[in-house]
Amino acid sequence: MTVMDVQPRIRRSTVPAGPPAIITDLWAALTERGMSLVDVTWEQQRLHESRRWSVVDMLAAVDLDSLTPTDRMLVWNAGRAELTTKPGADRLERQANAECNRWRDTNPALASAMEACGTWSRYWNEEEAHHETVFNRLADLSGMEPIDDETFINFRQVFPDDDMLRTLVLLAISEITAAVNYGQCQHVVADPGLRRIFKQVAADEIQHRNYFIAFAKALVDSGEYHAKDAFAVAHLFLREDGELQGSARDKLEERGTHVNWWDQLETKEMDFRPEAIEKKEQLVCSALKKITGIEVHTREEVEDTWLDLLGS
Amino acid sequence: MMKTDVQSYLREKFAEHAGLPEDQLFGDDVTLATVIARSPRMTNSIDLMEAFARTANALRKEYGARVRLPAMPLDTPTTTVLKVFQEEFDRQREAVA
Repeated sequence: MTVMDVQPRIRRSTVPAGPPAIITDLWAALTERGMSLVDVTWEQQRLHESRRWSVVDMLAAVDLDSLTPTDRMLVWNAGRAELTTKPGADRLERQANAECNRWRDTNPALASAMEACGTWSRYWNEEEAHHETVFNRLADLSGMEPIDDETFINFRQVFPDDDMLRTLVLLAISEITAAVNYGQCQHVVADPGLRRIFKQVAADEIQHRNYFIAFAKALVDSGEYHAKDAFAVAHLFLREDGELQGSARDKLEERGTHVNWWDQLETKEMDFRPEAIEKKEQLVCSALKKITGIEVHTREEVEDTWLDLLGS
Repeated sequence: MMKTDVQSYLREKFAEHAGLPEDQLFGDDVTLATVIARSPRMTNSIDLMEAFARTANALRKEYGARVRLPAMPLDTPTTTVLKVFQEEFDRQREAVA
């Protein structure tokens, strides 16, 4: 019998009706509701399509002459930071593929969850391309210091591989940090066109955070990954002098392997710094709850819970 | 309790969690970056952080003091880390005394 001999049958979709949305309980969708990778990809595609926007149109709405020195500095920093997302997405695709192959024989549902993650990386990469180009083009047009090719290539270095749960939690926190920063920027810039760009990019980053949380939750729900690793990454960011303090720290690591964008923000001479540390802390705690089911409210509780999960 | 007891315990536990003999961990010029490079159990600073956390947990179990370690740059010598661990331990003990 060939594929052509199979009687066609209208299949009732396992995809929920209604507006496109992220599948937040991916593990249950794959293991209990019978969603296939075709179904999951369809949901990713229609959400991606519903959120598309044009960099060219957005830039046309900015009044370059009205931008203040602070506006231009915020745009310049954002453009440099966004350069690091392409290597992040390239790495995610490769690492998700490796994880998919790792679980294929022993845990097929987990292999599917990782394939869904790798598949989504193409949308993430494309959406981040909008962010990088909108900010860098605007910085260029408004006369900011050009980004030389050496810096460009330096910021494109690929982050070394790590445990998959740690990787996804780190990416979720990176998106939280970016979204809060852009949300803050949106409130200080005066030009409506630029405000709209910051608002759009912040909304995109929140959507990306939600995807990372969904994939990380699927790993924990599978029972193959331990919640301690989600808390370890959160502690790395939230602890005193942790990653959340970014470039405000007295001493930054000379990594030589990759660039953490939050280390590279040049805000020391600015009258505005988009920090909002408490907001970020709150969102990291909320992400941990969604991923692991464990409720924490402060960085001290994150550390205590992590230590308890670790044991000795 | 003698300070040397705590120091020895710290060295022993950290060596155990790093998967390295003590002489490779606490020699001259050994930094945190060196530990990550040498340890068969570490690939990055999160693994290092976890080894310290497990050491702190063991210390708590053995001596009843919860030590919180600050973030330290990777060029910090391990001897300095031991010193900070000891100071934090003493501070915690004094706080509960």
